[in-house]
Amino acid sequence: MTELLATTDVGVRAPAPERASDRPLRLLSLWHIAGVVACGVALWAVLSPSGQELPFVIRTTLLVFFLGAVVMHAVAAVGVPKVRRSARSLSLAVNYLVAVVAITTVINIVGIFQGFSDIAGGFAKGAWLLVVALVGVVWWWGANKARDNSTAARVLGIGGRILVYGSLAGLVVYGTIGWLGHLDPATSADTSWNGDVGKGVAELVDRLLDPVALGAIALAAASIFFFRVMWSPDMAIRFGTTNAQSEALNGWLFLSPNIIGFTIFFAGPLLFSLVISFFDWDSLGQTRDFEGFGNYLKILALDIAKTDAPGALASEVLKPGYLELMHLDWFGQHWLIGARDRVFWLSLRNILFFLVMAVPLSVLPALLLSTLLNSKLPGMRVFRAIYFIPSVAGVIAVSLIWGDLFNATVGWINYLLTRARDLLPFWSDATAPVQQPWLSDTGTALVSIVIVFSWMTFGFNTVLYLAGHQAIPKDLYEAAELDGANAWHRFKRITVPQLRNTTFYVVATTSILAMQLFDVVWVLTNPPGSPDNATQTPVLHLYNKGFQESQQGYASAVAWVLFVFIFGLTVVQFRRQQETAGV
Amino acid sequence: MSVVRKGARATTVKVLSYVVLSLVAVVIVFPFVVAFSNSFKRADDIQRYPPSLVPRGPATREDPATGAQQDLYRFPDAEGEWAVVENGVSVSILADPDDPARTVTVLADAVEATGEKVVIDGEEKSLYLVEVDGQTVEWFRVRSTTGGLFESTDDPSVRRAALVLDATKVEEFAPRFANYGDVFNGKQLSRSLTNTAFVTILVVAGQVFTSILGGYAFARLRFKGRNALFLVYLGSVMIPFVVLIIPLYQFMVKLGWVDNLVALIVPFIFTAYGTFLMRQFFINIPEEIEEAALLDGASRWTILWRIFVPLARPAIATLCTFGFLYAWNSFVWPLVIINSGNKENLVLSLALSTLGGRGADSPSLVFAGVMIAMSAPVLVFLLAQRYFVENQATSGMK
Repeated sequence: MTELLATTDVGVRAPAPERASDRPLRLLSLWHIAGVVACGVALWAVLSPSGQELPFVIRTTLLVFFLGAVVMHAVAAVGVPKVRRSARSLSLAVNYLVAVVAITTVINIVGIFQGFSDIAGGFAKGAWLLVVALVGVVWWWGANKARDNSTAARVLGIGGRILVYGSLAGLVVYGTIGWLGHLDPATSADTSWNGDVGKGVAELVDRLLDPVALGAIALAAASIFFFRVMWSPDMAIRFGTTNAQSEALNGWLFLSPNIIGFTIFFAGPLLFSLVISFFDWDSLGQTRDFEGFGNYLKILALDIAKTDAPGALASEVLKPGYLELMHLDWFGQHWLIGARDRVFWLSLRNILFFLVMAVPLSVLPALLLSTLLNSKLPGMRVFRAIYFIPSVAGVIAVSLIWGDLFNATVGWINYLLTRARDLLPFWSDATAPVQQPWLSDTGTALVSIVIVFSWMTFGFNTVLYLAGHQAIPKDLYEAAELDGANAWHRFKRITVPQLRNTTFYVVATTSILAMQLFDVVWVLTNPPGSPDNATQTPVLHLYNKGFQESQQGYASAVAWVLFVFIFGLTVVQFRRQQETAGV
Repeated sequence: MSVVRKGARATTVKVLSYVVLSLVAVVIVFPFVVAFSNSFKRADDIQRYPPSLVPRGPATREDPATGAQQDLYRFPDAEGEWAVVENGVSVSILADPDDPARTVTVLADAVEATGEKVVIDGEEKSLYLVEVDGQTVEWFRVRSTTGGLFESTDDPSVRRAALVLDATKVEEFAPRFANYGDVFNGKQLSRSLTNTAFVTILVVAGQVFTSILGGYAFARLRFKGRNALFLVYLGSVMIPFVVLIIPLYQFMVKLGWVDNLVALIVPFIFTAYGTFLMRQFFINIPEEIEEAALLDGASRWTILWRIFVPLARPAIATLCTFGFLYAWNSFVWPLVIINSGNKENLVLSLALSTLGGRGADSPSLVFAGVMIAMSAPVLVFLLAQRYFVENQATSGMK
């Protein structure tokens, strides 16, 4: 570590001996200078006329990014030769980020993203390999289970592994062929799965030889190379990186895919959603008029007016732009309430009714049944599995099945009701078959949705409660039994209070799910929300506004209003749970 | 004494439990049974009232003469089964002038007019010679229409003309396995199946990869801002997906990823839930193992993939199961992104929804499609039950 002093007659210090890490250090410093130039070139490319073809958002992001990269490279170029500790982190960061952007650019140029349906086409052709892979998995698993080292187990294990890896490789090949086959624009009319691979390869080479592509590849390769150089233990020692710092660097590196995805696909859109909600924004982003809180006001605006005539029209009594929402008779006066977004308020009313009906129906049976299932009786596992199936079978499938059950003329629900009514003469004297139009009658449509939703979610909740049961100490029950408490008493005084936390979780998650009701209504009602807005939900309204009427700013505002409701409801439930827990 | 009573009490409770549990199980299973039976029915059989769980179809016999399939019928006034030998024959319905309620159906050209007429309700009607119950009588014609020529299956020489309305079809247990084939041949469902498999595999692989890395970082690597970042992740779970639909869509428009399967994959490779899951698991692994490996000079990467991951198999299996079910069954986002007219890029939930929307045309295909669509997630669930159930359960305790 210390420099050797070579004594000469003049007393001049000889230069320090060369260290192994000197050369990489020099290369790194040079690289950062080169990086400034390279990123500057990239910046210029984005600013150039061909760069102006990029969408505004992409272009701006790339501009900002490369500007930042230039700065970072410059600072690193200064700091690295001086072996400053912070320079190492900076160097690693800029190399990593530039590599990511460069690789993504290459992938984009090469057309992998755009050609995904072609890859899927190739995958479709090779889908039989999935069966092979499945066989391989079974063999592999079987070999593991055998646990012994017999030849059979080993063969099975190796064979299984070959099958699995082989079929995965095969699928990659199929996908690549599908992609290449349609890469050349001339093959876009070709509907076969493998198009013209030869032309595709030529097109690929062509695209890769494009200066932007070549530059990006070079940039990526160099960044990765120098990242690895800087990451090496030698550099770590040279820069005096402590163990703690090493750990921190590892931490950021490992977390980086997560963070990148989180920022690009969650945090960014979240903020953007808030921003859009203040604009009148259409789905292509062409119209962008700033509205301030206008969207929110339009959603929530209500007007109340007194009228003497119960049959008064909204247009006479309410302010312009307000549609009739409902009539009230209060304090002997007749009132007419209007709203600017009538459908929103109707959807809110519907979703509140839905909550009040569906949540108890999903939670209470789950609580009761979980208590029954909590016994040591044989077969409980089977029941548990059966109850869970509706939750995993898929909303569309389940909704289609129930749509048929609810059929007014030939559905099973009405048929079973007819049979029940015929068996129980005190119910009704009618003889004609029950033909209740469940989904087309404004009174029963929402109830039908409640039934489907509860049927789907209650099994899931039962399992949640079952876990809660595991946490209840057995001696509480034993003590109660000794005191003479019967089953109902034990349930009421021990089980329910002990399950308070679980109940909160179950009620909260079911409510959040219920407030976002969309797919069940979409499948079961035609058009969705009918009849006459009886099954309209906030998310459905959002979808209509955003994608049928192309008012995405407004739809974003609806989403945020709904979010406030959901959040508020959850907070209220949380508070209640805290309060009762304190008792 | 009290022991005996307790025993009896306990048994009633046991029996009652089973009864209640079974009743609920019936309520759960019944719709699936209906779907299963419907998936084997013919189109007209599904619209039958009263509904039945047994797929039925018309019984037929092979005509000894021509080899063609003939529908079989029964008549209320005759025994045995009758096959339709010929359709669309001209038949006349003749009635007794003394008792117009008595009628007989005959082939139009099998009867002759006697030339005499009779007046019925102020109208003149010709009389025809016809044999009824062994006697030859003169009856008038009520009307002419088209009917069928039926031949008795017991005695081929016995034939009668009749209106198809007057007979009831004979039915037999006739499941139509071709429904499943038809659904596949419609192209949409088979392509959407492979698309969904493709998307699901990539999403699950991506989620497992990023969650393992991220979970390890949160669990084992200390760095400034880790706890704050973790809280942010925790908070992100509270945000419902609804809020993200619009901006994500706009983003996809800008990227040119609308109507492209990429949009179903890349945004979902990152999952906060998955990261939590792996973090919870990794936190419980003893530190000594890691320290020993570090002393041996192993890099963090090696430690993660060679040591932690093999230990974390149950958690990874849970992650895979969850990811699979989420990706396979997702509907709202594909609905928003994929153009409904696009046949190549549909996923299963979309294809099924379209199939169901056209349910009036082909109700039997809808149910075959439903059974096919359901089989994958249900199968995965049944195989991976213990991971799914136990984990969902424990996560509720947090």
